[in-house]
Amino acid sequence: MRRFVILWVLLLCQMTAWAHKASDSYLVIDVKGNAVTAQWDIALRDIDFALGLDRDGNAEITWGELRARQSDLSAWALSRLAITRSGGCPLQMTSLQVDEHTDGGYAVLHLVGVCPGATGPLSLQYRLLFDLDSLHRGLLRLTLDGTTHTTVISPASDLLQLGAAQKSRWAQFKQYLNEGVWHIWIGFDHILFLLSLLLPAVLVLKMRRWQGVNSFGLAFREVLRVVTSFTVAHSITLSLAALGLVSLPSRLVESAIALSVVLAAANNLWPGVEHRRWLVAFGFGLIHGFGFASVLAELGLPADALALSLLGFNAGVEVGQLAIVAGFLPVAFLLRNTRLYLRWVFVLGSWLTMLLALIWLLERALDLKLMTA
Amino acid sequence: MLVFFGVLLSLPAQPVPRTPVDDAAVIEKLPFRAGDSSARELEALRVSARKAPGNATTAAALALAYFDMAQARGDPRYIGYADAVVRQFDQSMSVDLLVIRGMLHQYRHDFDEALVDFAAALAQDPDRASAHAWRGAIYLVQAKYDNARQECAALLKLSRTVLHGGCIGLVQAYTGQLSSAYTTLQQALALARYDDQRLWLLTRLGEVSAWLGYNARAERHYRDALALGRDDGYLLAAWADFLLDNERPIEVVKLLAAWEASDPLLLRLAEAESTLQLPSAGAHVQALDDRFAAAKLRGDTTHRAEEARFQLRLRKNAALAVQLAAANYKVQKEPRDLRVLLEAALAARDPDAAKPAREWLQSTGFEGGQIRKLAAQTLQLPPVAITPR
Repeated sequence: MRRFVILWVLLLCQMTAWAHKASDSYLVIDVKGNAVTAQWDIALRDIDFALGLDRDGNAEITWGELRARQSDLSAWALSRLAITRSGGCPLQMTSLQVDEHTDGGYAVLHLVGVCPGATGPLSLQYRLLFDLDSLHRGLLRLTLDGTTHTTVISPASDLLQLGAAQKSRWAQFKQYLNEGVWHIWIGFDHILFLLSLLLPAVLVLKMRRWQGVNSFGLAFREVLRVVTSFTVAHSITLSLAALGLVSLPSRLVESAIALSVVLAAANNLWPGVEHRRWLVAFGFGLIHGFGFASVLAELGLPADALALSLLGFNAGVEVGQLAIVAGFLPVAFLLRNTRLYLRWVFVLGSWLTMLLALIWLLERALDLKLMTA
Repeated sequence: MLVFFGVLLSLPAQPVPRTPVDDAAVIEKLPFRAGDSSARELEALRVSARKAPGNATTAAALALAYFDMAQARGDPRYIGYADAVVRQFDQSMSVDLLVIRGMLHQYRHDFDEALVDFAAALAQDPDRASAHAWRGAIYLVQAKYDNARQECAALLKLSRTVLHGGCIGLVQAYTGQLSSAYTTLQQALALARYDDQRLWLLTRLGEVSAWLGYNARAERHYRDALALGRDDGYLLAAWADFLLDNERPIEVVKLLAAWEASDPLLLRLAEAESTLQLPSAGAHVQALDDRFAAAKLRGDTTHRAEEARFQLRLRKNAALAVQLAAANYKVQKEPRDLRVLLEAALAARDPDAAKPAREWLQSTGFEGGQIRKLAAQTLQLPPVAITPR
């Protein structure tokens, strides 16, 4: 009889209902062709509820207690996740880590797998914890050949079907265009190289002293030459590499890119090449193209729209580049005769660029980690 | 160029999963030890449910224990566990399981589905008091007072006098008879034999007294309830709200210091801290932000009333607060839901948003002085687009 009163009281205690959080797992999957990589964050409390982790019963889960059950954990979790692409893609756990979310500690499972097919639709079935906790949800972010889908998986919808190549040609082109823009913007080494070549474009060396050029037209033509030759050069190598016709070891490419930035910045401080900067831009542009190609390789090129995606990515790189130039040139031209530009931006900027690129060069050539950025 | 370097060097390191170096490193704390009495009780129920699969009685006992655990600890994981147990019987629901499934639905604010389950339970067993009680409570939240009165009457017919008193007392309180409500609840209190009944009735008496404007009396009821020495989230929240309304934030900080895990109580703690401009306020506001974001990610909308109050009072985002409060009011229509809607509408200078709340006051005649004042203020907002009816 008492029970009923308790119930009655409790309904009106609604507000305490969500004090903690209901159970979620965070699953991030990347499928490129037939290769699957994934990170799966599962709450330790949930693992404990399903498998019992707290061996010594002290209400604390230690790293050792989790590690001791690593194979059970992997068997349990992987039996509740199935990915298929022209057949099942068997998954395995490569490493185990931990992390924190808003409601406590999580085990982080790193997974890899290989599918029988590299194209076509993909399906995913998720049943983790649904037999024990029907409020559990799988928060999924799945990237299929470069296109990201996010969804919340529940017992009522535990099967996800994704059709590949459903996107229109235009959407595909746009996606790669955006990727191109994005990758030049976050590719600091490419930007620094370009800026190092552009900084002196509004200047002219007279009697071993830098001064501003007389007309905007002069500066504009110089920028045009540099940017065009950089573009032509990296488009050539990007295409060759993306189509698999030429390939260079990435450590060599990355080191050469860093070296190109060092040299371009040094050339501003101790002018060697002054009138043929476009040639420098072209020569090193060839190297930078290989760098873009590695980004593109990470994204994956859809087999059915190879040329279009390549064109889109290339165009994106150009658009991103032009945006930088359009921002740079007017300001630089206006400031070209000021002390701020000549002394600080040009000289100090070139010094800093050179130093940073030197660090990159050392890091990349010797495989060191000197900076966190 | 220099700016560019600044950006480059200040890039934050991405948060990444880590690999602890020490096997003894504690990576999670569980709610209780395996040897604790509540853990042992739960384990015993789990074992008997496992031994007798298909037995609705043992399953119902386990599901109910999970439900109680969810309520006591404010931890919705147990609701999921209970639901998973009940789900195994989808094809052959006993009366007990129907009532429990209804309780689980109402917990998630699926009130319509909950009512279906309670109706099914009562069809099999018309004397099931718990189904009447839950139904009455849902009707109260939905502002369907005539329906609620019928459920209260059913409880009286079953001689559940304390339950009936609580039920009808609330109907009176919400429908413009605060003084009668006070008397009814006090009579129920006199009959109540158990501490949990007393705690609930004292809490509601505290609220009714505060609505009547009798602050000293309200405080006495709250203190009597607290003196029972039981942890109760609703009581703590109501008492904290009373203290905040009476500009006594220091007491709230003391009261709720150990209740950060409960989001509604953390909300009140953060409000008190920010009033006092304590340094801990920032971290608590951030924690609430993170928890609301996490709930949103999974599509959880059961806490919009709290989120509206959070946006209104702590984030000062009146526009978002109005949206949340209005969405909440479509589902829940109790005085606290009304109040946050009115306050948000006032802050957003949006008299239209407060219209449903004014209509509720008009039709019920609810006598809470503070809420009536807020409603009147929303009418003074320029531009005055609405005329009082």
